[in-house]
Amino acid sequence: MYRKIIKRSLYNMRDSYLIYILACAFAIGIYGTLVSMSTNPSIKRAIPTWRSYLGDISIMMSWVFAFCAVIYMVYVGGFFVKQQHHEFITFEKLGMQRWVVVMLSFFQTSVIQFFAWIIGLLGTVVFQKFLGMVLFYLMHLRFNFLMYISLADARHLLTVFLYSTIFFSGINAFKTMRILQKGGKRRAKKARWWLRIPAGLFGIVLLILAQVGSVQLIYDIDSIGYSPKPMAEILFILIADVFGTYLVYFGFLPTILNFLQKIRSVAYSGINIFSFKYLKERLFQNISTLWFVTELSAMALVLLTFCYYGYQQVYHNYNTIYPFELSADQNTVKTVRQELKKSKANIVGEYQTDVKISLASYYKESDKTVVHQPMTFMSHSDYLALPKRIQKWNPKVKSNEYLMIRYNSGSINDEPQKAYNIEVKNAPLIAKAKIGNSFPYGSTMHYGSIMIVPDKYYQSLPAEINDTLYGWKFKKGDRLNAKQIKHLEKRRGDYFLKVNYNSNLKNSSIEIIKKEPETYDHNVYTQIGFMRQGGFKKQFNQVGGFFLFIVSLFSVALLIALGSVLTLRILLRDDYQSRQLRTLQKIGVEETEIKGIVRKENTLTFLIPLIFALVQTISASLSFSLKLPKKLLLIYGGYVAMYCLFGVVSYQISWHGIKKKFSQ
Amino acid sequence: MQIVVKNISKDYGKKKNAVHAIKDISLEVEHGEFLGIMGPSGAGKTTLLNMLSTNERPDHGQIIIDDIDITQLHDREQTKFRRNKMGFIYQSFELLDSLNVKENVILPLALSRSHKKLIEERFNYMMNLLNIEKLSQRNVDELSLGQRQIVAAARALINSPEILFADEPTGSLDSKSATILLNYMQLVNQREKTTIVMATHDAFTASYCQRVVFIKDGLIFSEVVNPGNRDKFFEQIINMQRTIGGGNYFNVSQDY
Ligand SMILES: Nc1ncnc2c1ncn2[C@@H]1O[C@H](COP(=O)(O)OP(=O)(O)O)[C@@H](O)[C@H]1O
Ligand SMILES: [Mg+2]
Repeated sequence: MYRKIIKRSLYNMRDSYLIYILACAFAIGIYGTLVSMSTNPSIKRAIPTWRSYLGDISIMMSWVFAFCAVIYMVYVGGFFVKQQHHEFITFEKLGMQRWVVVMLSFFQTSVIQFFAWIIGLLGTVVFQKFLGMVLFYLMHLRFNFLMYISLADARHLLTVFLYSTIFFSGINAFKTMRILQKGGKRRAKKARWWLRIPAGLFGIVLLILAQVGSVQLIYDIDSIGYSPKPMAEILFILIADVFGTYLVYFGFLPTILNFLQKIRSVAYSGINIFSFKYLKERLFQNISTLWFVTELSAMALVLLTFCYYGYQQVYHNYNTIYPFELSADQNTVKTVRQELKKSKANIVGEYQTDVKISLASYYKESDKTVVHQPMTFMSHSDYLALPKRIQKWNPKVKSNEYLMIRYNSGSINDEPQKAYNIEVKNAPLIAKAKIGNSFPYGSTMHYGSIMIVPDKYYQSLPAEINDTLYGWKFKKGDRLNAKQIKHLEKRRGDYFLKVNYNSNLKNSSIEIIKKEPETYDHNVYTQIGFMRQGGFKKQFNQVGGFFLFIVSLFSVALLIALGSVLTLRILLRDDYQSRQLRTLQKIGVEETEIKGIVRKENTLTFLIPLIFALVQTISASLSFSLKLPKKLLLIYGGYVAMYCLFGVVSYQISWHGIKKKFSQ
Repeated sequence: MQIVVKNISKDYGKKKNAVHAIKDISLEVEHGEFLGIMGPSGAGKTTLLNMLSTNERPDHGQIIIDDIDITQLHDREQTKFRRNKMGFIYQSFELLDSLNVKENVILPLALSRSHKKLIEERFNYMMNLLNIEKLSQRNVDELSLGQRQIVAAARALINSPEILFADEPTGSLDSKSATILLNYMQLVNQREKTTIVMATHDAFTASYCQRVVFIKDGLIFSEVVNPGNRDKFFEQIINMQRTIGGGNYFNVSQDY
């Protein structure tokens, strides 16, 4: 008989269980994939860095993932126990012993966990192949991904299977026990608006304070740098946001419906008389879920935003620092060419540009000092002859304008757009120059800043040192082997510049030292003669791809988790709630109107967290003075669309379930 | 004639295990009549009422109410028809737990978007008539079964339906509450000239009607008209029950 009871209650809630099982199976599949990927030999072969740290990161991620999944499973698994509340109490009333009921609940959960794991482990096999291919694609690797699950990993997964099943079943059994101890009183929740309205107002105050706090935070980060104050502020903002949202939900959601219900002309017209009360009741039950989902969605969106900016920043920096796969100067070009010939590299582009190095002095805002440094000069027409992607990251310059290219200070706030009054030795003062960050041959090939000047200025500029810079582009890399690289590495420090500064520029000079000086003065600068950047590019692409992989995996998982929580909250109505919808139909309410109530319930449940999460994310981004570019809006759009898809699907399932009850 | 039923039939289920709930029934109900439908459990009483009240469609035959063939109406029109003309008392009350007594009672008027003033007026009148004014702010789960049945009746009657359908309205009431409710139904029938069609398996309940139709296995078996004396009528009904089938047959209720 017990088997029959379990079978029947599983059958009764099959829609909800199916969603739960699929969500769990997805989590298990991803977990299994992350675990088994870390030991996959084809990844190890394809990605040298996998052994050193990417593999460890993937294991760490699997732990984070498992942690989140456990929270999800415990939280959502509890929904089902709650749903069977009445049933369990009835069992006990009918004379079933308490421990028997608890065991029933235990085995029910075990069965569900069993199914989830079976599907999840099958999923691991599929996911590994699929995700492995995605990972390789994102990491720009042309390897064939082979599926592999080591015996140790399989054993590990089975152990987790066993323990987690016992753990979750135990937790649900415990929850059942609590229900039986408390007895079957359905506590009608009172409106208590005298508590709710002040709480809601306080929530709004908290949200405003959080906003003010984040503006203050930006100011403090920029002005004091590293100190414990910003950390405290971030903590405050987080707490104020999280609790503020809860209080606003707690205070206003039911109050608004309450208020509408009090307006008789609204409430007494049509189905509203029922739907307001019904929706209010449902919202009461779901406030903490809505809150939970809102905060997690906001967190996910904020994370996506910052990852996006982080990625952009790194990508931008990378491009401004490494425009060519290989670069050299006039002293090293011969050796490099020889080695390239030996390696049979497929050269698709070779660039060379004459530059002059001279002394310059100007006031630097960020250091608030006057600096005297060597500066590289390049003519405007030479600059334009370089590949477009170098100019892309710099502001446009006309033939009579000056462009100063220097390191990005990396501050969040925008850099100054212009530099003024730059003195150059034995040449006219440059009154005004635009500022850019993208170095033509990579920042490592120029010491200090580089100045793009009008052709005429360049021709008449007396140089302290003349040099020529070279850059190569290849198809499928430079193919230099380790021995060749070792040989080239010796030429890295090509020559050294020693600045002898005497009160003014005219009397100062740059001295070339061919050998590495014994001691590095602050006025000795290294001119690097050889830079192999292709390797960095590869690594950058790999790490970037891996990063993208992890972030998107987590956001998809988060989306599925949150969506399924909301769907389950909608599906798992109390018995008396679905009975009421049936009653409406019996006393002559049109089906479309009942459908309308279900739709409203769905819309409210999905839209409220979404809107709040979006508002929080966007206001956070704006207070960090981050502009929201199109691409990011596209990402948000994708998130919203997926979310809405969940809403539509859960509406369909929900209505389907109710209709089935109608025809019973 | 308000309701004319011509040769309706209704089957449930697929070919193999089909149930002929209604085989062939023809029936006429006059304006202001209080008609009883009796029969053993499974005879098809509920099915017949559901078809009369447009909750279900017959497979064959016509149902004409106020010269309109309701079997030809679309779902939407049927719903409108149902809302405007009909009231229902179900055996299981079908009250909404979320709403209090007042909201439950005025629901039909609110659904048809009546004016607020009219709603209040009708509500007070109804509560007065049925003598349940003091219940109006209570929640449904604070009511006794008898009180619930009367509230359900108040809801059925508030928009002064021309036709009231009652499916075993006394099924879950003790005899005292049943008497009260039946008296009210009679009162409404006389005062408001409401046509009432009531299904029951209980002879005492049926004795409040003006005419009782007996059905068995989806067919009309016979009918008895009230001679004007309830005790006599009650005896006639009991006799007819004996003719149809065993004595206990009627006391078994299977309806939910
Ligand atoms: N929805 C349904 N599906 C299948 N059979 C039904 C359904 N409703 C009623 N029946 C069958 O139709 C017959 C008549 O039922 P019903 O009208 O409820 O009887 P009564 O109300 O007189 O007890 C019964 O045999 C019953 O089993
Ligand atoms: Mg019946």
